[in-house]
Amino acid sequence: MKRFKRYKSMKDRLHNIFSAVLIFAAATGIGYAFHAVNFSDTNIALIYLLAVLIIVWLTRSLPAGLLAAIGGTFAFNYFFAAPRFTFTVYDPNYYITFITLTFTAVATGILTARAQEEARLAREKEAETKAIYTLTNKLAGAKDLDEIVDISVSAISDALQCNAGFLCFDSVGHPDSMYVLHNYKDKTNTKIDTDNPDLLKFHLNKMKGDYIENGEYIDRPIHGRDSVLGLIRISTEDAKNIDPSGLRLLHSMIDSISLAMDRLYSAQQRMKSIQEASRERYRANLLRSISHDIRTPLTGITGMSEMLADTIPSDNEYCMGLAVKIRKNAEWLHSLVENILNMTRLQDGTIKLRREIVPVEEVIGVAIDHVEDHRPDLDIEAKIPEEVIMAPMDPKLIEQVLINLLENAIKHIKADDRIWVSVSKDDDANEVIFKVEDSGEGIDAKDLPYIFQEFYSADRLKSSDHGFGLGLAICETIISAHNGRISAANREEGRGAVFSFALPVEEKDEL
Amino acid sequence: MSYKVLVVEDDVQIRSFICFALKAEGFEYITAGSATEALEKLSEKVDLLVLDLGLPDFDGKEVIRRIREWSHMPIIVVSARDREEEKIAALDTGADDYLTKPFSASELMARIRVACRHILLQPDQEARAVIEVRDLKINMDKRLVYRGGEEIHLTPMEYKLMSMLFRNIGKVITTGSIIGELWGSGYGSDTQALRALMAGLRRKIEINPAKPEYIKTEIGVGYRLLDE
Repeated sequence: MKRFKRYKSMKDRLHNIFSAVLIFAAATGIGYAFHAVNFSDTNIALIYLLAVLIIVWLTRSLPAGLLAAIGGTFAFNYFFAAPRFTFTVYDPNYYITFITLTFTAVATGILTARAQEEARLAREKEAETKAIYTLTNKLAGAKDLDEIVDISVSAISDALQCNAGFLCFDSVGHPDSMYVLHNYKDKTNTKIDTDNPDLLKFHLNKMKGDYIENGEYIDRPIHGRDSVLGLIRISTEDAKNIDPSGLRLLHSMIDSISLAMDRLYSAQQRMKSIQEASRERYRANLLRSISHDIRTPLTGITGMSEMLADTIPSDNEYCMGLAVKIRKNAEWLHSLVENILNMTRLQDGTIKLRREIVPVEEVIGVAIDHVEDHRPDLDIEAKIPEEVIMAPMDPKLIEQVLINLLENAIKHIKADDRIWVSVSKDDDANEVIFKVEDSGEGIDAKDLPYIFQEFYSADRLKSSDHGFGLGLAICETIISAHNGRISAANREEGRGAVFSFALPVEEKDEL
Repeated sequence: MSYKVLVVEDDVQIRSFICFALKAEGFEYITAGSATEALEKLSEKVDLLVLDLGLPDFDGKEVIRRIREWSHMPIIVVSARDREEEKIAALDTGADDYLTKPFSASELMARIRVACRHILLQPDQEARAVIEVRDLKINMDKRLVYRGGEEIHLTPMEYKLMSMLFRNIGKVITTGSIIGELWGSGYGSDTQALRALMAGLRRKIEINPAKPEYIKTEIGVGYRLLDE
């Protein structure tokens, strides 16, 4: 690859001066010939002008052109303008010739030099574009970080003819322990220890310009979308030789590298989320089969304990009690398993809401039926307005909420306490409000803030009943999935607790 | 007379507890542990089927489908599958009832008793013009519904729904099949209209629509008119 250097060596300069002298000598020779055949001096002046143009074209530099123009004028004056072989002139007309000669030479010099400068810039630009294109192309094919690093260091080293190093940062923005350093002469990569990652990070955080100089090296950060992805390290020695266009190229290359790294990371992220999704699916399947497989033995336990209760003589209260307890425990285990599974599915997001517009009494009726089936001694009241209230909800999940609230109420009431469910519509807030109230012991003030937390059961210690600890937490999860609110309080009139939840009537998010 | 029940269930313990409960209620029974065995045993005269869906050889729904080709015998599904889709699929295939595991013997026996009454009703069910459930009575000839002797004024759609429930008394009818009958199969599966219709009907026949005594909801599945 072409090296971007503008400054000419001493050898080049000597070569230019030698050529200039030679060209003037030739011009003077031709001038003598013209003079011998009595051509006019103007023609000789034109020969010098030609010489100046040739010098400008050869040296490709404006100062050289200027010098050549002045030199040409003096040469013409010395060799041809009367009196010859002196720098003085008799005829004032010659001054005009001199000035014209000088200006023409200068103007041509400037124009030529500019055209050449533009051509040079265009060539540099083209080389730069080509370098970036090649780098981007190679990076696009890179499969992992190591490949990106290798491609980057060799491309930068080749383009700038220096030894470039690359240091990757990990996901939390901490420098890796190893640098990859490219040696552009033998085209090999070596790994070297990072001098002091913490110090480097410290410098990086305090960085103001676009690079950090620390003694021997200059580090340029590779900025990703969100954080610093790595560093390009070039020795201070090499960096001094890089001209502005090289620097521009370096910046463009770093940009390409950062794009490639971002792309790689987001591809990896995508891969990771695909894997996570399949793990989720596996988990959901596992949950479903646990739920399925646990039902069969539970049916056996429930059924056989019933058989047992039927065969035990009714005067054997002890054994009868045991049989009933077996059955109750099986029922409890069943509801616990269902609750755990539902909670897991809800938190996983594997349960999707199936919103339908449902008359509220339908879910209330089903929930009360379910609870009364297990507790035939209870008579749960239900109060609904005459007007049919329809609300969007996942009826199965809201049924679950009501069942959990009712079961929670049952745990906290005594024999002649009452439970009642009511529903009303708040037209102002556009909400439907469900309430489950009981005339039981109420809620201890210190428990109120934690009541919807998982595994928090207020009476876990004092009650012999099984504390669920999950039922209310599930209610909360289901209600917030509906964009609703749930709350618990003690009744204002009389003893007992009231749990209420509000569901929005208009679906704001999913229409 | 005593009915003969075929219990199709591959889990031995559940089978034995179902049989125990049947025996206690005075039913005769035979058992099968697989679908193939069940279809073989059906060559005997069987009045009612208790069927598990998850059978070792093939799905219980296939058993329902084959039986429905030649018989109206009541089929009660007992299954560990609790998803609504499964219930709907089994009911629409022709099952009369669906019980999710774990269930208790008393629940199962209650469903079996309901099914038995259908065996009695079956031959002339289509022909019967008047059906009564406790205080509720329908006269299909006159297209009238009474509660406690008093006529209830129903809209034509409400009457259609009421008569469909009466014709399938005791059975769960799926939302899809109700919508199909009332609005036609092109109506799709929008349940909102049916639910609103049901809410109106309940307000006319139930004392408290939030604690229905006649028409029970099976959330996500359908409705059932209780017959006892």
